[in-house]
Amino acid sequence: MTPNRHRSAHIEFPNELDVVITREFDAPIALVFDVLTKPEHVSKWGATPPDQMKECSIDLRVGGNYHYSFVTEDGTECSFHGTYLEVEPPTRTVETWLFDGWPDAEAVETMELHETDGVTTLTMRLAFRDKAGRNHMTRFDGQQDSFDAMEDILTSLLGPTGTLPS
Amino acid sequence: MARSPTTSDVFNAIAEVRRREILDALIAGERAVGTIVADLSLSQPQVSKHLRVLSEVGLVKCRAQGRHRLYSLEPAPLRPLHDWLATYEQIWNDRLNRMDEYLRELQEKGEQQ
Repeated sequence: MTPNRHRSAHIEFPNELDVVITREFDAPIALVFDVLTKPEHVSKWGATPPDQMKECSIDLRVGGNYHYSFVTEDGTECSFHGTYLEVEPPTRTVETWLFDGWPDAEAVETMELHETDGVTTLTMRLAFRDKAGRNHMTRFDGQQDSFDAMEDILTSLLGPTGTLPS
Repeated sequence: MARSPTTSDVFNAIAEVRRREILDALIAGERAVGTIVADLSLSQPQVSKHLRVLSEVGLVKCRAQGRHRLYSLEPAPLRPLHDWLATYEQIWNDRLNRMDEYLRELQEKGEQQ
């Protein structure tokens, strides 16, 4: 397994409607922006094996649409689409976010990039219009097999100030 | 497991930063309401309100000791949330790791040219 040079993705739930994901990359901001917004790049990394990318179109301008879909191992197609509301290369895009698997969930995704000393930080905020939409992301499927990482969870859920008794 | 969208929901309970701070304070052990009030610089009614929400979802339990009410952390209800979060984190990590690899490949190719 390849070690990550940077910490893995950090996921936060700052309030009842938002999900925020941050991750650092050892690459200049312009390249990271292209890799996130050009179909010839997204089609290369957008689906994680065994999922396979099926469609990827991105019309990167205000009012332009994007659509991408991938097919999972069991043949299920997952399709996402939306419209760009703001496009400010190489630092920011804002777009609507719709997933055909959750027809009642609408979100606005804000993608922001920031470069410091050659390291580019990606921050993605998914802001759901209402709790019904966000609840899709918190609907547990009854998978209750792991109780091992309770310490991890406490630390991650209780925030950066969380300290556990030794 | 479908859930009703009420405050009786672990996710909503911990979505509020003050309630996370209260849980945080309880990790080290049982605390009286007054101690939490003093530690977090909140008003007693605020702390009581948050503790009530946390009790409703089973994240804290309360016992009386003399005139004091002592609260302690009950982490078990976090379990389904943890399971869900672990899955979700795994999906995002896989996806962003793949993007990271791809970025490296692109840069290595660029350096060779």
